[in-house]
Amino acid sequence: MQTNKEEFEATCNLFIKSVENYFKHLTDIDSEMSVPYLKDKEGLILKDITGMIGISGNRKGFVYISADRGMYKDLINIFIGLDDPADEDILDMAGEISNVVAGNVRANLGANFMISVPVVFEGMPNQLRLPQDLSIYIIPIKWNGHEAFVVVGLE
Amino acid sequence: MKLLIVDDSSIMRRTIEKNLGDYDLEIVGMASNGKEALEMVKDTMPDVITLDITMPQMDGITCLESIMQIHPEAKVMIITALSDKLTGLQALDKGARGFMYKPVNPDDLTKAFDKLLNRNAN
Repeated sequence: MQTNKEEFEATCNLFIKSVENYFKHLTDIDSEMSVPYLKDKEGLILKDITGMIGISGNRKGFVYISADRGMYKDLINIFIGLDDPADEDILDMAGEISNVVAGNVRANLGANFMISVPVVFEGMPNQLRLPQDLSIYIIPIKWNGHEAFVVVGLE
Repeated sequence: MKLLIVDDSSIMRRTIEKNLGDYDLEIVGMASNGKEALEMVKDTMPDVITLDITMPQMDGITCLESIMQIHPEAKVMIITALSDKLTGLQALDKGARGFMYKPVNPDDLTKAFDKLLNRNAN
């Protein structure tokens, strides 16, 4: 039987695999993961634009992917050939990648791992308040020269 | 054949549009949620619909149930990130003709649409 820590790490590994699959399957460019670590008392790591998904059902928490504009622009260019996408498109791309990464985890965790529609924001919003009782795991990634973070917070 | 694309992501809608360009499909609408989609189904009676599940206002499964009441002949291809088996079976049970898990690349779309469109010809 898994301990809470092992279960949490196993869930985080599912997110890592989901991110790796996303980039590999859609872009043929591998992503590179750095060593994940637990968030300490420092603030959250946020890049230019963040797509966040709420998690409910048999697990509660959130997952977000935060990256610079350049990463989203490169993805949009690959998908629909736009060199200079509008801000609206970049925000949309941030929401979509977080949705896919979170949704794919249900292949292992089942339909009771429920996810929200994405919430997308730029920079560090003043109103961002996350529950205090979550374990938060930070997974640094690099793709196509861009740095990003996948952050998983679960009860 | 008339095609309606339903997904809350504009990038995803345009990706589907771009990659289905080789098929003889007239895009009659693009909707960003289930409510919009139902209005477009009533107005345009599309032959083929791509339908996301996780969307604001009305999710794709609820939308699918209503589509099947309005236009049961429509061939609905679910394209969703929700990659658990139960969701796929639920969608097929409610009338979807095909089911794809995101991330979806051009090859995935081509294979799925070949199958979807040929199915009716046989």
